[in-house]
Amino acid sequence: MLDNLSTSLKDALKKLAGKTVVDRAAVDELIKDLQRALISSDVNVKLVMALSKAIRTRSLEEELPKGTNVREHVLRIVYQELVRLVWASTEVKLEPQTILMAGLQGSGKTTTTAKMARYFQKKGLKVGVICADTFRPGAYDQLATLCQKINVPIFGNPEATDARQIVKDGLVTLKDDELIIVDTQGRHALEGDLIQEIIDLNEITKATHRWLVIDAALGQAASEQARRFHEAIGIDGVIITKMDGTAKGGGAMSAVAETKSGIVFIGSGETIEDLERFNPDGFISRLLGMGDLKALAERVEQASIAEDVDVNAMLKGKFTLRNMYKQLEALNKMGPLKQIMSMLPMGNMELPEGVYDVTSTKMVRYRILMDSMSPKELDDPALINSSRMQRIAHGAGSTPDEVRELLKYFKMMQRTLKTMRGGGGKFDMQRLMKRFSGLR
Amino acid sequence: MFGGLKEKLLAARNRLSGSIAAAETQTAAPDQAAYTPAPGSGTNARVQKGAPAAGPTFVEKMKVLITERELVVSEKNIVDALAELEMTLLESDVALPVTDAIIAHVRTGLVGKHRKIGESVDALVLGALKDALLEVLGKGFDLSAYIRSHGRPVKILFTGVNGTGKTTTVAKIGAYLKEQGFTIVIGAGDTFRAGAIEQIGVHAGRLDIKIIQHQEGADPSAVLFDTVQYALSHKIDVVLADTAGRFHNKSNLMNQLDKIRRVMKPDLIVYVDEAVAGNDAVTRAAEFDRAVGTDAVVLTKADMDSRGGAAISIAYTIGKPLMFLGVGQAYDDILPFDPTQVVDELLGGS
Repeated sequence: MLDNLSTSLKDALKKLAGKTVVDRAAVDELIKDLQRALISSDVNVKLVMALSKAIRTRSLEEELPKGTNVREHVLRIVYQELVRLVWASTEVKLEPQTILMAGLQGSGKTTTTAKMARYFQKKGLKVGVICADTFRPGAYDQLATLCQKINVPIFGNPEATDARQIVKDGLVTLKDDELIIVDTQGRHALEGDLIQEIIDLNEITKATHRWLVIDAALGQAASEQARRFHEAIGIDGVIITKMDGTAKGGGAMSAVAETKSGIVFIGSGETIEDLERFNPDGFISRLLGMGDLKALAERVEQASIAEDVDVNAMLKGKFTLRNMYKQLEALNKMGPLKQIMSMLPMGNMELPEGVYDVTSTKMVRYRILMDSMSPKELDDPALINSSRMQRIAHGAGSTPDEVRELLKYFKMMQRTLKTMRGGGGKFDMQRLMKRFSGLR
Repeated sequence: MFGGLKEKLLAARNRLSGSIAAAETQTAAPDQAAYTPAPGSGTNARVQKGAPAAGPTFVEKMKVLITERELVVSEKNIVDALAELEMTLLESDVALPVTDAIIAHVRTGLVGKHRKIGESVDALVLGALKDALLEVLGKGFDLSAYIRSHGRPVKILFTGVNGTGKTTTVAKIGAYLKEQGFTIVIGAGDTFRAGAIEQIGVHAGRLDIKIIQHQEGADPSAVLFDTVQYALSHKIDVVLADTAGRFHNKSNLMNQLDKIRRVMKPDLIVYVDEAVAGNDAVTRAAEFDRAVGTDAVVLTKADMDSRGGAAISIAYTIGKPLMFLGVGQAYDDILPFDPTQVVDELLGGS
């Protein structure tokens, strides 16, 4: 998701590697690349200019700490300034509170509301949801369907037109719930009536938090919109949605800088579980290609599967179908492979595109196929000849073609792991795996 | 939506004219004084070398030469102004590679251009910018003319990522075409998102347009196939096929879209994106175009104070015409897109 940005940044940083004296020209070049990288990630242009100026001044003026090279020196400054840019992580307290959702049309407020309800529900809170979107047809149905799936009470009335009244009634009806999320209609800052409405809703709900939902693809408009929302209701947190696309979320960065708040959650998928806590250190680390181990840790913790992955076997090079079976099982709990891979500190390692193409439905099919294999076959896939293939396919209600496909995928995974091991040098697989397994 | 961009472009244009005019006075002044050294084009340097030794007759000769010769715009003259134009475009959400292309276009349009001293600087700059923008925006797309000139039913498939406003756009275009006297049927092809079928159902009900829908989770291809069958048997003019939003990096969802395309064989594939999208607009427009093709583009949410850069980015990347702009929440908040009008408006008429 932040692939392109970090690649170009890394290229820029590479130019500084090995230098021991601060070289004005090289720093300037880095700043230029950094600017381009951030701008093409939709970070507000003015913000980028201010940021790069600060980095340049600090890089040239601050004394090179003993024992570091220029690359580390500049990297540290870039890192610090970027962290400053995304401000601090907004704390999410697990206590009774009311959260008001705000955002532009189509930014994903309703989906995020349901995801948040699920998140807090899993943390053991009694959650209730109010649908205050009286404009968009189907808004209530959408939220009701999502909430029904997770057994969260919802208050709303698709026939009503007065959002203020709905919220008043809703607060009474849901007074027993500890945490109330109010989903609102999408609006933009130029719609005076709607801005007034959300100001009123804010007063009615006495919301503990007012969170602004920002589409990861939002461009330069983000700053202005965020500023106006902030002026209206005082935004105290930002949620980035649609991070599973290719957008880089720079708009959200601008919004955060504008509202002096932090990023609370990141939405990165279409299912109700696809919501993760935001971690600024991790975000920046990922930006700089250092890998975001903290977010992965949360994910792993939630799925509590670490012990299932036999890291040692994979390391020794004995990657059998059995390992893959466990891996697929684990991945199913952890989310798409690409999401996980993007969190690991792979640096500039390229994985073959095909590895990611296996979708969750495919993974289920593969597991069924493997269930129909004998233990011998699982340990040594080379045994599988065409008659065995026929039998496996029969047992799994499938075709030999699919078995072949599975074996092809297995070989690809095997190759990938081999190259990861063989990578050596900068990228230490052993260490990575140790950390990976130590996360449990 | 182009208000912000217009303002900035005007400023940039003034800067550009200013730079060229300044370069002009710089060239002229030292020639007459003959002694003052001045930074400028290569011609200056030559004049300075020759002038001191030659005396008054030579200066007079030079005067004639200068007033009649053409002025060459050098890269140096406009480098600052171009940098400013670049910032302007970037701040207006024009994607980085597209900005680079436009700047290059303006630069080649201006640099090395021979210009008589009498010729207006303004016209020159305006011409270069206008050419660049028109080249990028291409021609518009007249939907009703297309429908009139093609066999019925005309099948239109709407694609795009999540939350760009496909469903609302389908309703708006339905209302627009109904106004023009066409008969319409809508296919509720978004069977994934909760509430989507209800949403399009309510729209269709309000607009009194027939809608074909299955239940949530059904195969969208089947829904849309049924819609086409309905249109055929009832001699309906236009089929509007809504689909679920999907990200271009989800291969299974893109395959599903491809299947829809194979099954319903649309005449037009309309890609819907939002005007406020930033650099990602380029990536996803290109991916959708690659996966299922795109014939025309609709940009929604143009009433948010966006600068319209996404329009330029998308048009440049996939080279497909912009058909409509969505400019509000009511059914008639949709405008056919006319590039020449927009460019003229952007550059302050003339």
